[in-house]
Amino acid sequence: MNFSRKELIESDATMNQMRNAIYELARLMEKNGVSDLNIRLRGMGQEMGKTFINYWKPTENVTLSNVKDVLTTIYQKILNSSISIEIDESQNVIKVRDQNCALCKYHYDDIDIAGCEIIIGMVSEIVSHINKESNDISAISFEPFEILESQAFGNKTCIQVYKYKIKTRA
Amino acid sequence: MGAFQWLMKKITKVFGRSTNALFYTLLYREILKEINEISKNEEDSLVILREIGRRAGYESCERHSNIFKFMPGSPKKVLDYFEILWVIAFGRELDDYSYEEIPKEDSKYNDYVLKISKCPVCAGYGQDEEDSFDFNKIKSKSTEGLACGLCGMLESVANYILKIKRSDYRIEIVEQACIAKGGDCLQFICKIHDYKQWQELMDSRAKIRNALGINFGERLEEEEIVQETKLDIIDKLQDVISIDKLEEYLDEPLETIKERISDIIRDKLSMEPDHFFDYFRNYEDDMIKIIGYLGIHLLNEYGGLLEKSLKNEWFAKVFGYIFRQLKEMTLLFIPLDVIRDYNELLVSFLDGLAPVEMVDNIRQFTGRDTINYIFEGAQMALENLGIEFSELKENVWEELKKEREDDLIPSEISTIDKTRERVPQIISIVQEILMIFTDILTLPIRVLISESHYGLKTAINSVISEEEGLYGSIRERFDNIFDQIEEIRK
Repeated sequence: MNFSRKELIESDATMNQMRNAIYELARLMEKNGVSDLNIRLRGMGQEMGKTFINYWKPTENVTLSNVKDVLTTIYQKILNSSISIEIDESQNVIKVRDQNCALCKYHYDDIDIAGCEIIIGMVSEIVSHINKESNDISAISFEPFEILESQAFGNKTCIQVYKYKIKTRA
Repeated sequence: MGAFQWLMKKITKVFGRSTNALFYTLLYREILKEINEISKNEEDSLVILREIGRRAGYESCERHSNIFKFMPGSPKKVLDYFEILWVIAFGRELDDYSYEEIPKEDSKYNDYVLKISKCPVCAGYGQDEEDSFDFNKIKSKSTEGLACGLCGMLESVANYILKIKRSDYRIEIVEQACIAKGGDCLQFICKIHDYKQWQELMDSRAKIRNALGINFGERLEEEEIVQETKLDIIDKLQDVISIDKLEEYLDEPLETIKERISDIIRDKLSMEPDHFFDYFRNYEDDMIKIIGYLGIHLLNEYGGLLEKSLKNEWFAKVFGYIFRQLKEMTLLFIPLDVIRDYNELLVSFLDGLAPVEMVDNIRQFTGRDTINYIFEGAQMALENLGIEFSELKENVWEELKKEREDDLIPSEISTIDKTRERVPQIISIVQEILMIFTDILTLPIRVLISESHYGLKTAINSVISEEEGLYGSIRERFDNIFDQIEEIRK
């Protein structure tokens, strides 16, 4: 009897070689005419998020008041990352700073894409999926916005930016 | 489990960057799906995934090449350590597997078949809507399965080790059965080829890839090993001192160790031991400092882990405080008799290896002198590796206070809370390290008493049994330390 995905949730795997594989994939995509790399990587993350939510859910509802805790939990549980979060209510953006990003570590001269595009795709999908089933009027919708800084670009940390909307304002 | 396997697994687990295993598996799946978006052909996609795995594995090996210098150099041994290859490539334990040797006539090495009953990359594949890569479209029986990317990584690591050990053989690892494809287990076949056969295999694989019409960029070629320089003594010593021989070292009594050291000096430095030690006559204190200095650098040669850890400012400070505390506490807590025993052990070690005059000079040192010299040398090495001892505060608490004032750790949880969370782990680590030193410091007496009877191993295991003896105790303490480091890293 093989492992179940539920069982995998309870254990860790080392990312070093998989992280390299992402950049190998990015090279392959570029060399074979795929132009919208960041959209493709976010799409990969969204697909991962859709599956992940079937096996683990951090909460039943995400609002502006608990979004920091939810994101901290998601990053900690899935990525083993301790993050700091800044909410800019005037711009409706959330900035997540990860000093030890699971998917970015080295600066590559030949690629202009950050592995953490996958992360913002996945996290957005998880939050959106949770709130799709929520009846709370203050629940927020979430979408990936941009990677402001990344270790893959030569920065010291990764700053992942999400755009949010409160349902009632929509 | 041997000491080598245990150490390698612990190091890989603690110092690798880990994530949740389901995240890993889903990312792996998505990479395959993206490849399939490009190739539009399932069979071709698996060939490409293998190549991506191979390249990813190679890059990782290149970055951490030092650690592989200590791995075994024969293909048979590399395969014996398949469990470690798995841990290095996948980062998790290899559960429940069997290993079969298939005799191969007219060949130096046999083939090996590994059956792994649980495959993490196939776990639950097909149960979710997003598992859209369709294995039913694969018609050719020779096509590999979902773990082919992992196969590429494993093959890369195995061959990198053989390359760095200057072996003339290479290992081909092919996935023969896949659970996602309907197999009852994950099965690999490992074939050992001489270098010429290997090059032919690589050429034929390259032709297959070229026929796919996919642009891979430059072909990944094995780079030539850079010719060692005469000054690269560490590289020379690595040929002899390999951590997969840990068990052998533990089995050998003092006299055999002396013989071995003499052989190393003769073989690798082309000089007699007394000539070598004669360079240090009248500079005995410096020689003892060098022992401490080289000890730290040799420790760092195991994958450069120490240096890499110390690049992290926080780790460097913790190491610095622990080292300083050890330096102070060694002389406070260890009875002078024990330190004297150490000195006698050093004298016994040098007796016969070094010139008589030099041995006499060292005999004049008090145990306290010796310990201080070793610590001085070790401190110099640690400074080289990145610990700024001059910047350390009076004690660790002042350091923590400083971080709070500077607000260096931006986080939702306050620095105080974070520190509070870490303090128990730090205290445990310090405690375990001190206990290890206490355990080790009992060794000289046992060595001197038992040397004439049963040798070093008797001394090491003289407590109760091999597992519960000194070696078992040290291993248990290191287990605790690795666990605490893992907790801190989380």
